[in-house]
Amino acid sequence: MLSRVMEALAPRRTAHAHCDIPCGVYDPQQARIEAESCYKIIQKYHDSSDEVFRMRAIHVKEERAELAKHHIDVMWHDYFKPEHVEKFPDLHAVCWKAAKQASQVKRTVDLDEAQKLLDLIDKIDQMWRETNGPATTRMQQLQPVG
Amino acid sequence: MEPTLRPGDWLLVDPDAHRGRAPAAGELVVVIDPRAPARWLIKRVVGVAADGALALGGDNPAHAREATLETVPPSSVTGRPWLRYWPPRRISRIG
Repeated sequence: MLSRVMEALAPRRTAHAHCDIPCGVYDPQQARIEAESCYKIIQKYHDSSDEVFRMRAIHVKEERAELAKHHIDVMWHDYFKPEHVEKFPDLHAVCWKAAKQASQVKRTVDLDEAQKLLDLIDKIDQMWRETNGPATTRMQQLQPVG
Repeated sequence: MEPTLRPGDWLLVDPDAHRGRAPAAGELVVVIDPRAPARWLIKRVVGVAADGALALGGDNPAHAREATLETVPPSSVTGRPWLRYWPPRRISRIG
């Protein structure tokens, strides 16, 4: 009986207050790896005559490009601060273009478009490095043994 | 959004709160997540831009330095939370 009452009173939707912790870990390489994957997938797509392979390639490229876009958005919205925009006045334009280019890579099997995405992510990477990103947003990695 | 809200709080949300008036700075709002339209966010309006876009933030002072303000169009607002009705010990008006 009580559980029925609780069920009737319980909310129908959940709203989230936390998008982020934030954990403070940021690295444009997350976006770059996904963009490299898209580039290689497009290359392999053109090199193949297997229709099943080509269909799978399109499907996976869609997923990886969406992840690239997500990682670009995280850098843009969560890492970069107002003082970074003062140092790089085109910061917003670069991030916006990179996110739009990730969408473009979803839509096409044009290798040039995949290269453009890599180039834009490299610009984000440069801004991250020149704002002391590596020291402040990545944990120190242990030296490999031997 | 701590300490104002905690995970598991049950809230009443007024979906008609913004018929005829835009959300104001300081209000709590429920909005459609611009990055994931199937997801709702609950945040505080920190500021309203000249074009009506809402800058959203959280209440947690520990995150104040790191938090970046989300900006959403006013059309993404789905309502104004105004009452927490569960858990019983924390029944209160909010916002």
